[in-house]
Amino acid sequence: MKRSLSDNSGWRWVTCHSSLCWSLAGIMAIALLPKMITIPYYLHVLILVMLYGGLASAWNLMGGYTGLLSLGHAAFFGLGAYSSTLLYLRLGVSPWAGMAAGAIVAAVAGVITCYPSLRLKGPFFALASLAFAEVLRIISVFWVDLTAGSNGLTIRYRPGFEYMMWPGKEMWVYLLLAYLLLVVGTVWKFQRSKLGFYAVALREDDGAARMLGIDTTKVKLYVTMASASFTAIGGSLYAQYMSYIDPYAVFDPAQSVQFALIGICGGMGTVFGPVFGAFIMVPLSEFLQGTLGGSVRGLNMTAYGIMLMVVVMTLPQGVYPALMERYRQWRNARAKAAAAALAKEGQVDVA
Amino acid sequence: MFGQVLISGLMTGGVYALISMGLTLIFGVTRLVNFAHGELVMLSMFAGYLLSTIFGIDPYVGVIPVALGAFLVGVLLERGIIHPMLNASHAAQIFVTMGLSITLMNLALIVWGTDYRSVRTVYDGMVVYLGPWALGVPRIVTFVVAVLMMVGLLLFLSRTLLGKAITAVSQDRMAAQLMGIDIYKMYTIAFAIGVMFVGVAGCLLTPTYATFPMVGQYFGLTSYVVVVLGGMGNVVGALFGGLLIGVVESLSGYFIAPALKEAIYFVIFVVVLVIRPSGLFGIVGAEEMGIK
Repeated sequence: MKRSLSDNSGWRWVTCHSSLCWSLAGIMAIALLPKMITIPYYLHVLILVMLYGGLASAWNLMGGYTGLLSLGHAAFFGLGAYSSTLLYLRLGVSPWAGMAAGAIVAAVAGVITCYPSLRLKGPFFALASLAFAEVLRIISVFWVDLTAGSNGLTIRYRPGFEYMMWPGKEMWVYLLLAYLLLVVGTVWKFQRSKLGFYAVALREDDGAARMLGIDTTKVKLYVTMASASFTAIGGSLYAQYMSYIDPYAVFDPAQSVQFALIGICGGMGTVFGPVFGAFIMVPLSEFLQGTLGGSVRGLNMTAYGIMLMVVVMTLPQGVYPALMERYRQWRNARAKAAAAALAKEGQVDVA
Repeated sequence: MFGQVLISGLMTGGVYALISMGLTLIFGVTRLVNFAHGELVMLSMFAGYLLSTIFGIDPYVGVIPVALGAFLVGVLLERGIIHPMLNASHAAQIFVTMGLSITLMNLALIVWGTDYRSVRTVYDGMVVYLGPWALGVPRIVTFVVAVLMMVGLLLFLSRTLLGKAITAVSQDRMAAQLMGIDIYKMYTIAFAIGVMFVGVAGCLLTPTYATFPMVGQYFGLTSYVVVVLGGMGNVVGALFGGLLIGVVESLSGYFIAPALKEAIYFVIFVVVLVIRPSGLFGIVGAEEMGIK
């Protein structure tokens, strides 16, 4: 008997669009999670995963696709957090409007920092961006009249949609899911767009890209603006969710490292790598903090640092691409085996 | 008063220069920015501190065993961590050393806790008067050692066969390899010498600076600024960059606000990167072609 290959076309559609189907399944699963998980701590971890997934994806636009290895994204994160919080506390502007304002401020800051450092490459760009974030941190500590310095700013609890505050964590899960989808959707669109191809071209070879007529300066600026705005939106969400910010939390170089780290461990220059990275790294660091952090100070971060070195040294291209490669090999092997079996069946039939 | 501020800035600059020379040598040869540099300074400070508290060895004598130990640590680090990453992407290189930095800092936290420790010596309060200006003895010592180490390093690089080989590798890897130089051995030696400089610097710092696990972050960031200012890979540049940052820091601390002094030198750093990315003493264009 011969098996027809066309009678299960529905299934074929699913396998052809497997990443889309996986994403839809994942989104639905996350959307249902708050209904099933009742322990707030797990929801908190989920919220952090989605927040950092979005932030790492925003970093990935610059670091992964365009080759601008920024270690200063805490600058944009902090600008977003301080913009929405200060507008709300000082002028009573709704955090939603403050979030938009923060995105614009960060985009402008991105242009101001990126434009002069466009000539820099690799580690030089990383150092310049690191210095930029440090300057903002020092200023935010120093300018006590505006930012309350190291005391930080506390946002009073006042539930309501217009104040971006809700009792419980369920709404936060949905909001952060929307944020994650917004950023990942943009990255997905971006890597299929002309701009995305330009970015990859200039990452691979700046000179050659220019030779082909790509305005590399413009591409870098656009990407920086997008990346900075998304990071700032994440910063506003963080400020509202935590309802407390201070310069050491939001402008911390460790934040910049965290965004980049999740992106790199997950897989730079891939759409889902940073999200995947966030799903591994954030619960891992929370888990380490929970189990090791209490007993000996520094033990959890030591484990984190060692794991980071091991991952970067063994899987320099990231966990997600490595897993995908394995999966592809496994699928090809299986397809080959199935074809061989079919062929054998056919022979038996003929005989 | 201006002269006093200026001269104490120069003395602080000597410390920065000494730390940065190691970083710049490592970068010049391996083309890799070591983001764990500050943590190596911190470990050397702890080594100096432990030698003086446990064995009663004065930090200025302890410099010798610490420097030798640092050289060995440098060899091990290069062989174990840096060597496998030499041909990896920038991102991987940055994050391996970053991971090393996180690991070392937190290991120090586990072992020694967050307390500030300082070494008490007979000379740490001593002051020498040079005309109208007062100078602390430990700062003069570090400054003089920084200058001597630089001269020594320059002589080593230009006069000895090994030094010339290292210079050749830093100028052109492939040409050096074609001339029969074992470039990987040179990487190891250069890295170890760089770490040895850090060992000397860390040990000399113990009488003047408090020792604690997070101290490395401050010195690390400063040494990146210095190295970029002086030109990556340029030893003389590191000395002048260090002195310049020391002076800028002390002037801005005195005339503007102590809390903003770091912000000011970071601004200078960004301005230098933008106007002259090769640094004040580097060759123009080196930042684009040298690092591939």
